[in-house]
Amino acid sequence: MQFGIFTVGDVTPDPTTGRTPTEHERIKAMVAIAQKAEEVGLDVFATGEHHNPPFVPSSPTTMLGWVAARTENLILSTSTTLITTNDPVKIAEDFAMLQHLADGRVDLMMGRGNTGPVYPWFGKDIRQGINLAVENYALLYRLWREETVTWEGKFRTPLQSFTSTPRPLDGVPPFVWHGSIRSPEIAEQAAYYGDGFFHNNIFWPADHTKQMVELYRSRYAHYGHGTPEQAIVGLGGQIFMRRNSQDAVREFRPYFDNAPVYGHGPSLEEFTEQTPLTVGSPEQVIEKTLSFRDYAGDYQRQLFLVDHAGLPLKTVLEQIDMLGEEVVPVLREEFAKRRAAGVPDAPTHASRVAAAAAATAEAGQEVTAS
Amino acid sequence: MKLVVVSAGLSVPSSTRLLGDRLAAAASAGSGGGGGVEVQVVELRDLAVEIAHNLTTGFPGPALGAALSAVAGADGLIVVTPVFSASYSGLFKSFFDVLDRDALAGKPVLVAATGGSARHSLVLEHAMRPLFAYLRAVVVPTGVYAASEDWGAEGLAERIGRAAGELVGLMGGGGPSVPGPPAPGVGVQVGGFEVVPFAEQLAALRSP
Repeated sequence: MQFGIFTVGDVTPDPTTGRTPTEHERIKAMVAIAQKAEEVGLDVFATGEHHNPPFVPSSPTTMLGWVAARTENLILSTSTTLITTNDPVKIAEDFAMLQHLADGRVDLMMGRGNTGPVYPWFGKDIRQGINLAVENYALLYRLWREETVTWEGKFRTPLQSFTSTPRPLDGVPPFVWHGSIRSPEIAEQAAYYGDGFFHNNIFWPADHTKQMVELYRSRYAHYGHGTPEQAIVGLGGQIFMRRNSQDAVREFRPYFDNAPVYGHGPSLEEFTEQTPLTVGSPEQVIEKTLSFRDYAGDYQRQLFLVDHAGLPLKTVLEQIDMLGEEVVPVLREEFAKRRAAGVPDAPTHASRVAAAAAATAEAGQEVTAS
Repeated sequence: MKLVVVSAGLSVPSSTRLLGDRLAAAASAGSGGGGGVEVQVVELRDLAVEIAHNLTTGFPGPALGAALSAVAGADGLIVVTPVFSASYSGLFKSFFDVLDRDALAGKPVLVAATGGSARHSLVLEHAMRPLFAYLRAVVVPTGVYAASEDWGAEGLAERIGRAAGELVGLMGGGGPSVPGPPAPGVGVQVGGFEVVPFAEQLAALRSP
């Protein structure tokens, strides 16, 4: 099972000081968070993609390329890459390039984006969101697998004899997750391709997450990729920890109460009860995270949101230290104990290269046998 | 048959709730009494905070979630609001704002309102009917408006009886047939979801 950090990349004032970081500070903080994730032994760092203030990460592969050069083991990912407003040709090129530079430590999560004006800024229409995700990904899928692509669709200029360069590393495209909160079409799309499904459950109650994950699992089996239990599932979760749970609540409350994404609605206590948000001791985070398995089944990737609500970088790095030292080692052990036989790990570049080689060998044997 | 009354009255007791109860009782009686109609009342006053939270968080709390499910699963609705500033109350509208927008498609809905004076009675036609038409509900022809003076006057009981009779008819008690939710098209039912098989979704984009 993989554990990591995902970040939205918002510039949010620290409500306790009133100070807003500059874009430069925030961008540097994001890569410091990624480096810290590597340092403490986490598996994944994923950045969001946004094209409007107060968010900074408009150019994810630039940022991830920087991180790739300064890390050895960390898988670099996105949360999400906009499959609707980005040109699928450019996604194919950018992420293949990143894959080479990072020696395969790359996967990505497709998302539609929910900010209305972003679509027209990129010449698209939000009402076509699902259709854009369907057509653009179908093209991206081919660009990474077929040397020469001739293609015509509704949303992009046709391609005649086009080759996306560089070709994916070792001929194996980056693994793709499809992120969705409430669209069954996207769970269906992930299942159809046998790709991963990431339910960003951070603002949603458990029963909703359960339904979406079950839908994906059942359709994954329907399309013959394996049993429902073998489908590749990822979940989010947002946390704030201190050794002593009262200290965590006391320190995080002013952030919660005033943050644009949390504040002025349900109380911290209500929010904690109804969503994955955990504010407390490392033991409480462990307990809550393990409980995700009760409704999502054995899953492959857990991403934590730690740089939320305007927390200063120093505090965020302390959170990641605690994750690496106290939380994730226990979670690795406990999830492994509970995991049913036959549940696969999250795909990595190495495992996908091995699977591709095995498939080629098998095909060769069949040819020899016939 | 399951009948859900949505009442946006704020005082306890409230004349809005009273009108809702009268309409529900008339509908039960009109269906032949006995166990023909199972009535559930949703008091929006009790859900006011969860409704406001749903607007900010995007998901319903437990009690609101149960109420939204009850409304979505009902065979018919009686919706009653007090008139506030020449329209339905903000609480009433907010409840239907957080309801899934397809939840009322094809569902018979009896609209009713209360007010301090009969001068607001057309709120049924200029506010309530358009809202439920937008939600693709089948609005019962007779709406019921009760001003303060109506509670001591003739005519209210007749209007209640007529409206309830029409509602029961639309709910499948022998009246005109109710158009169901939109045709499922090529979708397949999986769990609580209707899913268009992916190949068909893709093919739809390729057809000229």
